[in-house]
Amino acid sequence: MKNYTISKLAGEFGLSRSALLYYDRIGLLPPSGRTPSGYRYYTDEDHIRLDRICNFRQAGLTLEEIRAALESNQEPSLKVLEHRLKEIDHRIRDLRNQQKILAGMTKAGSFASSFPSVTKEMWVEMLQAAGMEENAMHRWHAEFERRTPEAHRDFLIYLGIPAREVLQIRKWAAGFQFAS
Amino acid sequence: MRNAMNVEEWVELFREIGLDDAKMMEWHRRFEAKHPQAHRSFLEWLGLPEEEIEKIRVKSS
Repeated sequence: MKNYTISKLAGEFGLSRSALLYYDRIGLLPPSGRTPSGYRYYTDEDHIRLDRICNFRQAGLTLEEIRAALESNQEPSLKVLEHRLKEIDHRIRDLRNQQKILAGMTKAGSFASSFPSVTKEMWVEMLQAAGMEENAMHRWHAEFERRTPEAHRDFLIYLGIPAREVLQIRKWAAGFQFAS
Repeated sequence: MRNAMNVEEWVELFREIGLDDAKMMEWHRRFEAKHPQAHRSFLEWLGLPEEEIEKIRVKSS
């Protein structure tokens, strides 16, 4: 069995000593024991535990979620993982939006075009080119709003349409009268 | 997981309003020809796996 000092173990995982002190304090990774002179020492088992902790951290779980998972000696529940996935999805969407806004601000040529994404103009132009008529586009929005309003909203945001116009389009779509 | 429509639902929505498969293919073809990067971005946004994206782009080129 191999023993590690706190600095040695921290070093192996690219963490600081104080991170491990903190993990000890919150009960996430208490050292296996102390030397006669009072220094913490960690064993191979601690090493394995820290490895798992780091994996979960990389997936973005909170220390509290990790502690709960390790305590129950199970993998984090599906719910926790799904929740995290959802957060990531939102974050990506937010970042995409930020990227668009920034690209718009720096329109001066190359920067904007290095972040290609679909614009409203492109979208409409391509649909028209494929032979879709304006009135079919209206029905498309209305049907989209009726089936999955949130997905409709996300898509409009994705096209870079300003928030106020998104609201207008959705309001209009929700009130659309389908010809029978 | 995400509160979005999957690809099948997108296709169904387009069919519903009368865009048939041939027109959809035409749409991909034009998109790929004129805005290849944006075409890719949209397919990514839909959540398609990488290999599926490649397949569609090859088919549309």
